[in-house]
Amino acid sequence: MSGTAFARMIVNKYQEVEPKLLTDEKVDLVIPASLIRDVVHLIEESYPLIFPEIIMGLDLEDDKYEVIYIFWSRETNFLCQFRVLLEGATPVVDTISDIFPGMEWHERETCEMFGIDFKGHPDLRLLLLPDELEGKYPLRKRFKTDRSRLSESGLPQPKPRPPRGGDSQ
Amino acid sequence: MSPDILDEAVELWFGPQHVSAHGWATKLTLVGDYIVECDPNAGYFHRSAEKCLEFRTFKQGSLILERLCMLEAFLAEYPYLSAVEQIAGLEVPERAKIMRTIMMEACRIHSLQFWWGQFSAELGMFTMTLWPWIDREYFLDAFEELTGSRHAAAYGTPGGVKYDFTEKSVKVLEHAIAHMESQMPKFKDMILHNPSFKVRTKGIGQYDVKQGLKWGLSGPNIRACGTPMDLRQDVNDPNLAYDMVDWEVPTFHSEDHPGESDAFDRMVQRFLEIEASVKIIRQLLPLVPDGPIVDPKARAKSNRLPAGEAYGRIEGTRGLASVWLKTTDKAQSPYRAKIRGPCLNSYYSLKHLVPGSKFADFIVIFGSLDPYPGWWDR
Amino acid sequence: MVGSIGGIVMQFEWFVDWLAGVPDWIYGIFIWIWGLLHDIIMWVWDWIFILWGLIIDNIVFLFMSVVFPGLVFLLFTLIFIVWWTRKLWGRIHARRGPVHLGKYGGLQIFADAIKLISKEIIIPNNSRRWMYRFLPGLLLVVVLVPFAFIPWDPVWFIADLSVSLVLVFAFLTAVPVISLLAGWISGSKYSLIGGFRAANNQFAAEIPMIISSVGPAMLAGSLSLMGIAVAQASVWFIVLLPINFATFLAASIASVGIFPFDAPVADSEIIFGWRTEFSGVYFTLTYFAEFAEQMLYPLLMVTMFFGGFYGLPFIPGYMNFIIKFLIVFFFFTLVSSSFFRFRQDQIVHYCWKYLLPLSMLNVVIAMLAIVYIPGLAPLLAFAGG
Repeated sequence: MSGTAFARMIVNKYQEVEPKLLTDEKVDLVIPASLIRDVVHLIEESYPLIFPEIIMGLDLEDDKYEVIYIFWSRETNFLCQFRVLLEGATPVVDTISDIFPGMEWHERETCEMFGIDFKGHPDLRLLLLPDELEGKYPLRKRFKTDRSRLSESGLPQPKPRPPRGGDSQ
Repeated sequence: MSPDILDEAVELWFGPQHVSAHGWATKLTLVGDYIVECDPNAGYFHRSAEKCLEFRTFKQGSLILERLCMLEAFLAEYPYLSAVEQIAGLEVPERAKIMRTIMMEACRIHSLQFWWGQFSAELGMFTMTLWPWIDREYFLDAFEELTGSRHAAAYGTPGGVKYDFTEKSVKVLEHAIAHMESQMPKFKDMILHNPSFKVRTKGIGQYDVKQGLKWGLSGPNIRACGTPMDLRQDVNDPNLAYDMVDWEVPTFHSEDHPGESDAFDRMVQRFLEIEASVKIIRQLLPLVPDGPIVDPKARAKSNRLPAGEAYGRIEGTRGLASVWLKTTDKAQSPYRAKIRGPCLNSYYSLKHLVPGSKFADFIVIFGSLDPYPGWWDR
Repeated sequence: MVGSIGGIVMQFEWFVDWLAGVPDWIYGIFIWIWGLLHDIIMWVWDWIFILWGLIIDNIVFLFMSVVFPGLVFLLFTLIFIVWWTRKLWGRIHARRGPVHLGKYGGLQIFADAIKLISKEIIIPNNSRRWMYRFLPGLLLVVVLVPFAFIPWDPVWFIADLSVSLVLVFAFLTAVPVISLLAGWISGSKYSLIGGFRAANNQFAAEIPMIISSVGPAMLAGSLSLMGIAVAQASVWFIVLLPINFATFLAASIASVGIFPFDAPVADSEIIFGWRTEFSGVYFTLTYFAEFAEQMLYPLLMVTMFFGGFYGLPFIPGYMNFIIKFLIVFFFFTLVSSSFFRFRQDQIVHYCWKYLLPLSMLNVVIAMLAIVYIPGLAPLLAFAGG
């Protein structure tokens, strides 16, 4: 099934889905959060050897987030990108880690970096971050990393730098 | 220590301080000699590359990507450059395209030689650790002759490459390839025909294509199952020269278990990869035309990029690596750069592959999937 | 008034007499002390005479057991063997091995030994301290004692019992037990796994090794190593029993715990097995014990299969022995660098399925050969029975 045919099938089935880009090679759909599991089930049934590439988060400012899913089907050379728009201080979306187990860690990383909760995920511990950054969601735009605003991040203060090179305290 | 120690479940941290744990800590639950549960823990190498990229210019960004996987530096920086070139609308000149492809394949060969050495060391044979590493030195000499640096050479730049081929650098590269080809029969003898290797790796860590794809494995790990999944041929990238070459995707078809691959198959697969890379380089070397090595508009255009989103991908040594890039208008650095490292899914798949095998096989399974912690921790 | 004064003096006369006798009394005490000292010195001197007599009576034995071919010779040979192994492994790996200290890196091992001995000893909290301190030394002693029974030369040998082969194997069987104990008391899970694997190795590999040594013993008609060496005056046993040599070689590589059978010390899986937690002096002792064991098996192989001290007639016997030992050790090292490490259950599998039946077959063939081949007995110096 070519990319456009698949996208048309989804758009016809679920009216809330908005297509943003439709070519045979790349398809970009905006999907509401409640429908993501159904759409992912559809793509898994239509393309048995589909390769799940990425689940990533994106912080559009003002507490608006986007979760982007990218799948690739090699047989039909078709790259499929789904976007889910979320809002709120603690956004929630369903997990797809039971359909594609390889995405379990991608979801875990998105959760710890952006604070997006994946409902039904078996294990949402911290994956990459050290323990002191739990709950800080470093990839959000409001997590500042310049030293002047270090106190906002909750991290411990570093040792003061010596005034001249060569003098150590 | 109770006498029932062999029937109790013992938790063992194959921890961050371990001779062959190159930056991972896996919690294994053992009953006797069998692993019952495997809980991989990543995060010991995390350097927040994605956040760092948001504060670097587009030219500086590729340096961060390079250092994620030092062994395949030329390959690792390409997805980012590809995404930047897509957004900025840069056209890579022909000479740069071919040079990029040649150096990427040379990097692939040298990375695979490193992997052999590491895998053999984990299996207890130090002879086969040092022989590939000695041949790898010739490749590092070639990189040094071309760029001045052995490893992370910062070779690519948006719109082309930074260092031009000279006669001497081409000669050193050809010498490295010729030397390696002469050593390949010896390596094949020592590894593939060595009965102790077969005994150690046959039947270990077996999975089939569908399972592998679901877990997110890619690259040689899937090609060893018999499916020719290779981004170099599946997708026609206009910034690389793979379409100029007549070559076949190296795929290993196993006779004992078609459609599945075990550790032995993945080793054979990587021999085939090197042969394919050599073929590509040999065909491309005479085809290098004269011309500029970087897009003349790159200097003007790659400073401030228009708004856009792009997705750059590369078939790395260990699998499919990609960078998803989003920029805002006239920005000097990306708004969001997401890096996909192939080894994240390799490390994850251990959760499913390892339980049921013996303790001594853990390292064989993991080593055969070619892990590199820079790629999953970023 | 004189009478009263005289009366007073007369009352203290006994005191005056006593005072007069005080110097005598002091002199008597000195005489007593002097006699005591004299007795002690004579007693010590007697003992010195007895010990010196013992030494003079056994001067040859003491020289042989301490200097050559005893402790001092063994230590220097051990250091030479470590250097040889490192250089040989280096050349197999297409690198050089130690080159900096001394010509060809000869002093490197001395430097390493000094460095290791001076390192800090870290004893884990979970371990048993007195066993931790005691076991490495015990291991080295147990491994060094069998060297006393190797027949280097018809004249220059330390000891020869009529059952020295059995005694050597008895000592060697203690080594994996000590390894198991060392792994157990180290207090770390990795050491425990290594200790269990060492015990497993013993179970798998020592049995074929001991059975393989029965063949030469039967052909020589004696269980003493000297007897086996002497019996090869006209023909070496390697010619008569080649397969026996092969099984003994394989089983001894497995028993020592060197590649490819080094699962107990697999340093990519269990860090360093039962040796993980030992540091400083204790590590030096276990390290040298391992090399001493590696030295012992080629010596046994030379004794049992390669004719011991027989060889070129114009050099002394022990030089023959040493040359043959070096050749066998070279082969030993070469074999061990060509194979990938076996898994522990695969070691047990191969030893029990292949080595054990083969070595038993060897014993049967040797028995039948002795009984039925008529020309065999005159070949052997001791008529076998």
